[in-house]
Amino acid sequence: MNAAALYFVNGMESETSAIARGLRRRDPDLLDRLIEQYQHRLLRYLTYLTGHRELAEDLFQETWIRVLERGHQYDGKHEFSTWLFSVARHLCIDSMRKKNPVSLDGLLDDSNDARAPLDPVDIRPSALEVIAQHEHADRINAALTGIAAEYREAVVLRFQEGLTLDEIAAVTGAPLGTIKSRLYRGLNLLMPLLKGAQA
Amino acid sequence: MTRDPHQQAQEWIALTGVDGLGLDDAQHSQLQTHLRECDSCREYAEATGQVIRSLRSVPMAATPVLVRRTQARVRQHAQLLRQQRERLWMVGVACAGIGFSAAVTLPLMWRVFSWLGAWAGVSNPVWETGFTVFVIAPALLVSVLLLVRGTHVTDASGRWQH
Repeated sequence: MNAAALYFVNGMESETSAIARGLRRRDPDLLDRLIEQYQHRLLRYLTYLTGHRELAEDLFQETWIRVLERGHQYDGKHEFSTWLFSVARHLCIDSMRKKNPVSLDGLLDDSNDARAPLDPVDIRPSALEVIAQHEHADRINAALTGIAAEYREAVVLRFQEGLTLDEIAAVTGAPLGTIKSRLYRGLNLLMPLLKGAQA
Repeated sequence: MTRDPHQQAQEWIALTGVDGLGLDDAQHSQLQTHLRECDSCREYAEATGQVIRSLRSVPMAATPVLVRRTQARVRQHAQLLRQQRERLWMVGVACAGIGFSAAVTLPLMWRVFSWLGAWAGVSNPVWETGFTVFVIAPALLVSVLLLVRGTHVTDASGRWQH
């Protein structure tokens, strides 16, 4: 490992160690900062996982409460985002089990009309641009929710959140081979669905 | 048995994205060579790139209201947990104090009851029963009072009452 890479790894370790120490102390300022830092990534993951914006927002809050309660379980040796997504995923599964005692695929069983569109960021564009953005987001949302949740999760974690395959395996608790298979199949299923929905 | 080079290339593309980041040098070089020669895999790589660009083209943001509400809830919950911990600490200290006090006073009380039994001329089982009632009576009384008032330390789900 060269010096730059070593410096980067040491820097990352000290940052995750600092997070772990803060979580053990239940430091509210640290939690405020983490909520700010991971707000978009966590909400995006939960929204794509559940397919429901409102449910995702509820789970977003519950995830941070769980992080506060179980923060001492984070060891600081791995990326915080990996642990955070894992916590969120467990909450999501618990929530769906309470609602409907089926597997993660059960997320797809709900009727489409109950599904809120995934709102793009409000950057104050013109009305036509807003409509186009919403339509574009709706098409991508429809394509993503059209594939099984386990494939969707792998694709979102890999290509939106930028997690490595090992990290996705850690989040989902699935073997690496399964993750590779889900990613490959998920991408192949998405391709025809996303045709014509390109940005 | 050697693998189908097209399937291998497509798997690498799907797993690493179009740029092939994450492949080792030999695999990366093999993929690039294959893509130069194979139209269908090149098309697959382009389609993959378009899917990834599409996925990344939908920015999704948490609203400031959601973030503020979450931060407030977390702070409130942290306060609650702190109070619970302080309460548990106080209960622990009280238990330790009671334990210490009991360890010191019980042998003395035993002697007092023994002396009273001898002085009153009652048999050993009688003053020993009296001693037992004397020791557990306060706890029994408090338990009965709490039950009568319907007061419980925890709720039905096992959470501490406040």
